[in-house]
Amino acid sequence: MGLLLITRFTIQEAFHRWLLLAMLLLNLLLLAVFALLLNSAYTGVAAHAADHSNPQLYLLEFDLSIGILSVWAAYLLSGALTIVLTIGMTSMEIEAGTFSVIVSKPLHRAEIIFGKWLGYALILSIYTAMLVFTFLGLIYWRTGYFPENALPALGMLELSTLVLLALTTLGSTLFPTLVNGAIAIMLFIGAPLASFVQLISTTPGETAQNVTTLVNLVIPTDALWHGASYYLIPSFVFSALQGQDFLNGLNTPFTSIHPLSPALFAWAILYCIVLPIIGAVRFQRRDL
Amino acid sequence: MSNDSRLPAVEIQGLRKVYQQIIAVDDISLVTYRGEAFGFLGPNGAGKSTVVKILTGLVAPTKGTVRVLGQPVNHVEIRRRVGYLPEFPSFHRWFKGRDFLEFHGRLYGLRGAMLEKRIREVLEMVGLAGREHQKLGTFSKGMLQRIGLAQALIHKPDLVILDELVSGLDPVGQRDMRELLRALREEGTSIFLNSHLLADVEAICDRVAIINQGRILKVGAPAELFDKKKVLEVRVDHVSEELLQHLSSAALSIQREEDDPCCLLIEIQHDEQAADIADIIVHACGARLYTLAPRRLSLEQIFFQTIDALNQGN
Repeated sequence: MGLLLITRFTIQEAFHRWLLLAMLLLNLLLLAVFALLLNSAYTGVAAHAADHSNPQLYLLEFDLSIGILSVWAAYLLSGALTIVLTIGMTSMEIEAGTFSVIVSKPLHRAEIIFGKWLGYALILSIYTAMLVFTFLGLIYWRTGYFPENALPALGMLELSTLVLLALTTLGSTLFPTLVNGAIAIMLFIGAPLASFVQLISTTPGETAQNVTTLVNLVIPTDALWHGASYYLIPSFVFSALQGQDFLNGLNTPFTSIHPLSPALFAWAILYCIVLPIIGAVRFQRRDL
Repeated sequence: MSNDSRLPAVEIQGLRKVYQQIIAVDDISLVTYRGEAFGFLGPNGAGKSTVVKILTGLVAPTKGTVRVLGQPVNHVEIRRRVGYLPEFPSFHRWFKGRDFLEFHGRLYGLRGAMLEKRIREVLEMVGLAGREHQKLGTFSKGMLQRIGLAQALIHKPDLVILDELVSGLDPVGQRDMRELLRALREEGTSIFLNSHLLADVEAICDRVAIINQGRILKVGAPAELFDKKKVLEVRVDHVSEELLQHLSSAALSIQREEDDPCCLLIEIQHDEQAADIADIIVHACGARLYTLAPRRLSLEQIFFQTIDALNQGN
């Protein structure tokens, strides 16, 4: 089947490009540094825990902070890899002329787009899962803390990766590689701005709310990250610390104490499906 | 070409392609037949590659119909019977030769022992046996052309579409490829060869279409198109007015070579007139004759002659 051949080809190609290997090696380095820093930081925190009025809460605060921070790092790294790996998935092949001998084969053009999409989706999903669980595994190894809802949090991150992949898939059929990359980076980095604006404004008005909604519709990655951060907070925190400063302090531009709304979740799934389809339709009509 | 192969291989009717406001192909109609080697000859920018891209489904026509082996060109299944080598073969450099052919063979639907057999056969055919474990990134331009031809032939296509076959090859490579194409033609494979090289189409093709500025100027057998008029290249010690006057009575036309004042290009109707030309030069005018040889018209000259003839016809 043509689609699966293209998927296999895409995976093979990704591993033959130095980009993916370089990212994997750098990640190993990053994880090693993280393990060293974590060990050092936790040793200090554990030593001073007894000095605080509530040592358990003090340690929980550390565990939560380091857990959320590490998964946020995984979210950023996964987004970065998605962009650099996939911005040229169609446009670069067209620019290099390598598509001529593939598109002229007995294949529907949609098979090429969806085959490539599937290949990258597999690579990026596995990468994201490995990264998240390695971070959380290291934290568990040193602190004994592991988020009870790690899987739903990972699901949100995976969906965020697929959202970004959908965007680059479409962009790659519409724009040259560099333009597609610039758009993806601007949107991915720009999306959290809405959260920052909401934090800064003491009384968020209707306009700010509308802008946030619009941003989340254009690129729901930040909303999905907030959804993931919600699942990283243990459920007992919500019940035991309701209304306390500790819980309110977790409602930041980086984190949320509310789950992703079902409407936005549905929109993110629709986004992942519709954008590649539009890309395939566009590619079907494109002269090569 | 056998007579039982009068089924069409390529049918183009009223084909037009406009890129924004630039007309690349303007109302082209032609038919090539099964088992025929058909040459598409024209200068760079004539619209040849656009036609080939339309034939291979890479480009959609603005207007007109195109059928390949009896089916509309946008039917995916018909592509199982067509092989294509683009003008500038650009392949994924990380592929090894064998893996590259395996991938393309699989795209054509080949599997298992048949695929393995065909990989070995086509590598042998294009002269790359023993190079199957070499990465394409280390291939020379000529080797890329050869592996490109191998992927176009791996599924034993009924029709091979080739865009500028020998552009990256050295003389030995060009000879090998021409022999290979002649062998394919002998086996009954239809060939559509895009080229700006007269030698290519003359050596391989049964019929040729000359295309310029998006329009077909002429279609016919190479001998009809290129050998109608005979041109002699004549070099003498001195070209006098008297000599030119005498020659003009026996020749259809006379041209002086711009870069060689002692060289003339004399167009004659029949081969026998060459003897008359020699007689005039040596005996009637007393000049010394250094060279008298038939000269093939260059592609450029054929274009200009064809265009002039069309203008006169209008």
